[in-house]
Amino acid sequence: MHPLIQTAKGTVDQAELYRDKRHTISVLYQNYRLQQVEENDLSSVALRVIEDGRLGSTYGVFPEGDRLLDAARTAARYGDPATFSFAPAAEYPSVRTYDDRTAALTSRDLVDLCEAIKERIHEELSDVPLFIRCQARTGDLVVETTEGAAGAIRSTDLGIGFGAPFRGVGTAIFKGQRSIAPLDVDEALVDEFVEWYRWGDNTSTPSTGRLPVILAPEASFLFLLPLLMGVSGDLVSKKTSPLVDRIGQPILSEKLTVLDDPLVEGDPNARPFDDEGVPCATHKIVENGVLKDYLVDLQSGAALGRPSNGHGFKAALFGGGTETPSTPWFANPVIEAGDASWRELVSGLKEGLLITNGMGFHSGNYPQGQFAVQAVGYHIVDGQVVGRLDKTMISGNIYEDFRTVRAVSRERRRAFVGLLSAGLTPYILFDSLQVAGK
Amino acid sequence: MKEKLAAIAAELPAAYADVRYEENRKVRILYEGRKLSEVASTESSGGHVRAYADGGKAISSFSAPERAGPIAESTCASASLAGKLREKKLRVADAPALADAFLLSPAQDPRRIPLKEKLDLVAHYNGIILGEPHVITTQTYYDEFGSRRVFVNSEGSAIEYELLTCGIVGFIVAKKGDVVQRVRFAFGGCEEYGRLLDREEELKARIAKACELLDAEPVKAGVFPVVLDPSEAGVFIHEAFGHLSEGDGLQNNPAFRARLQMGTKLGRPVLSVSDDPTLEGRPGHFVVDDEGIRGVKTRLITEGVLTGRLHSRETAAEFGEPLSGNMRAVDAHFTPLVRMSNIFIEPGESSFDEIIASIDRGYYLVGAKGGQTSGDQFTFGSQWGYRIENGKLGPMVRDINMSGELFSTLQAISMVGDDLTFGERGGCGKGSPMQTNRKSGTGAPHIKIDAVTIGGV
Repeated sequence: MHPLIQTAKGTVDQAELYRDKRHTISVLYQNYRLQQVEENDLSSVALRVIEDGRLGSTYGVFPEGDRLLDAARTAARYGDPATFSFAPAAEYPSVRTYDDRTAALTSRDLVDLCEAIKERIHEELSDVPLFIRCQARTGDLVVETTEGAAGAIRSTDLGIGFGAPFRGVGTAIFKGQRSIAPLDVDEALVDEFVEWYRWGDNTSTPSTGRLPVILAPEASFLFLLPLLMGVSGDLVSKKTSPLVDRIGQPILSEKLTVLDDPLVEGDPNARPFDDEGVPCATHKIVENGVLKDYLVDLQSGAALGRPSNGHGFKAALFGGGTETPSTPWFANPVIEAGDASWRELVSGLKEGLLITNGMGFHSGNYPQGQFAVQAVGYHIVDGQVVGRLDKTMISGNIYEDFRTVRAVSRERRRAFVGLLSAGLTPYILFDSLQVAGK
Repeated sequence: MKEKLAAIAAELPAAYADVRYEENRKVRILYEGRKLSEVASTESSGGHVRAYADGGKAISSFSAPERAGPIAESTCASASLAGKLREKKLRVADAPALADAFLLSPAQDPRRIPLKEKLDLVAHYNGIILGEPHVITTQTYYDEFGSRRVFVNSEGSAIEYELLTCGIVGFIVAKKGDVVQRVRFAFGGCEEYGRLLDREEELKARIAKACELLDAEPVKAGVFPVVLDPSEAGVFIHEAFGHLSEGDGLQNNPAFRARLQMGTKLGRPVLSVSDDPTLEGRPGHFVVDDEGIRGVKTRLITEGVLTGRLHSRETAAEFGEPLSGNMRAVDAHFTPLVRMSNIFIEPGESSFDEIIASIDRGYYLVGAKGGQTSGDQFTFGSQWGYRIENGKLGPMVRDINMSGELFSTLQAISMVGDDLTFGERGGCGKGSPMQTNRKSGTGAPHIKIDAVTIGGV
């Protein structure tokens, strides 16, 4: 037991300690050149206490543990009455999160990996300002409570992402890989990057109106983040979610099934317990378009009169981490595959859009399911990509426009960039979305 | 601490190295509806090292102060490794060593206001919002950040300086039938606590707007002439142009460097844009940046022509342009990036009425709601707007996001108002991992853009 929890036991009603230590090395290439090498050695803690029935929290890096406890107690003096208890002792599922070969990587190893990608792409696209970022993280996360929860995991996460702005403009294309284990360069991914980059040599603007749209895995956050807000126990308990009282009802196309699956062996998003020390489990959120469950943490669970289902994470739209209060969030959202190939989805369209990113998402009314973004992607005419999208916006509401899905691809991929650390998601062809273009 | 770090920096095997150590204090109070969701007063500390050796660069962040020495040495070794792999060597521009202290003493110092008093103020404003029948929930948030920093470098600079900002921001969430709308409010954004007091009437005006929006029509998709209010125009110039003024973004992008040569005509003569960290009381005010360089006003666009750029010591050397003092980090966990301070469109000569009267069919867009850029592409939202019909303001509209391409949009700014107004609350996200910097301000008068794409129904 951590000494702080030991001290807290005799001082406050309840306490919860979250401690994150991480060692990170990374290398950054810009315009094919090694721009910088980075190594970070950081630790941080967050403490929540309940004292005299009131909740208080603090976080930071403190030289003395007592100061952390004092700060949390001061906050509790003014805090709201606690409506829940911290997590009790529990048995956590076993899931592999660590690979000691990744923990042993050096910046020189990361340089070698980047050099391999650099050489491979340079053969095809020597005149573009390619950037590459490779990062290896080893982390130790501990969540302990006075009520008996005691979770500790060691994890590794190796990511490599690369991209380049299209010629003469700023809109960029990205591809990437993540794994807890050492990676080899994925040749197919590099080939796809080169193909998609060349698709962008021409631009095209569709006419204003409704058109079929393929949402690529890279852009899955445009769908998953509004859905996350909808199924958040926090928003449901406050009655601001559009999905209040909708369990068991169809909310999306029957072709869509969405799970939160933190128990995928060796997945970089894998977690045996959440940031409140509650065991994680695989949950179906939407099955064949029907809403099955909400994401619930301790606080929203108390408001909804049910226990947490292990989805309390220190996450936020931008950032998250030790300083961020726990809130209901996906650990590893995945969308079930369909049976079409994504290239068939493209070739079957008379006119449509392939969306790979959406800019300006966060300034829309996404908690209500709405989105209105500058479309980044490609214009398809007669089954062929005719150019990258220019001066084009797409808009809609997932609970209206995502009821008519024509097909879901069998290929799934992890999006490397975007506002959500999603798991495997497929390409999804929607019947039509509003497009503002010519 | 300063002497200890200076001794470390002086001995490092690097062409240039610096060490920053800081102690930070934050206060956060959050009401969500009637619930006091968070009261937190927190402290943290940590350091950051940067080294240039053999033409390469390396950086490190650390939490434990006793690790400063060993980490600085290994950072120099990493920089040397990076340098051996580079043909074109990195270097920093010459700058004078600075030994000074820049500490803050605001008239009403938020660091001396008791937590209970702050809590009562937030509860008071939150209660006013909840008194409106259509309001279903709120987020009313007090946010204070104070940082005391020590900066030393291998050239003899040794500076102690403070950053301090406090503000109250929030969302008013109103509902009628199936329509839910959020309107933002923000007070403060500088080191003066007094800015947060006596703001009830402005808050009530915002609440009225949130309720009015419930009966507004969704905006129509298409390409229209628009008038941006000062809040929107400030965010536009920050997002669309400001980020392309930052030297580190351009440094390794040959296409944009070629398009953004000094002297390039970017807009019509009505358009002038500046960045100025010396504006006291504005969110982006500071005296020295996190490279120990004094911040100065930079005229970025003068009468339509590109005349300045924001720099670090590295990018100033790369471009052969003057230092501007814009290299800043959110805290010790992050390396400094080139960032805007207070960017603003200089005032023009048109009145608001003249600008509206010049449009037959378009929109007047009000209240920034965040934005995003990727090179020359930008997207940003408005909290509400009005149709403009035959030179007059028409019905209110909602759910507005617009997008465009920077260079054609700058050329399309055809009128600039005489009513320069600065926003009270700053904020800017940049970098990977993202650094969200509150000490970033915007300002503008009303402006007219002849054509932008609006996403809607």
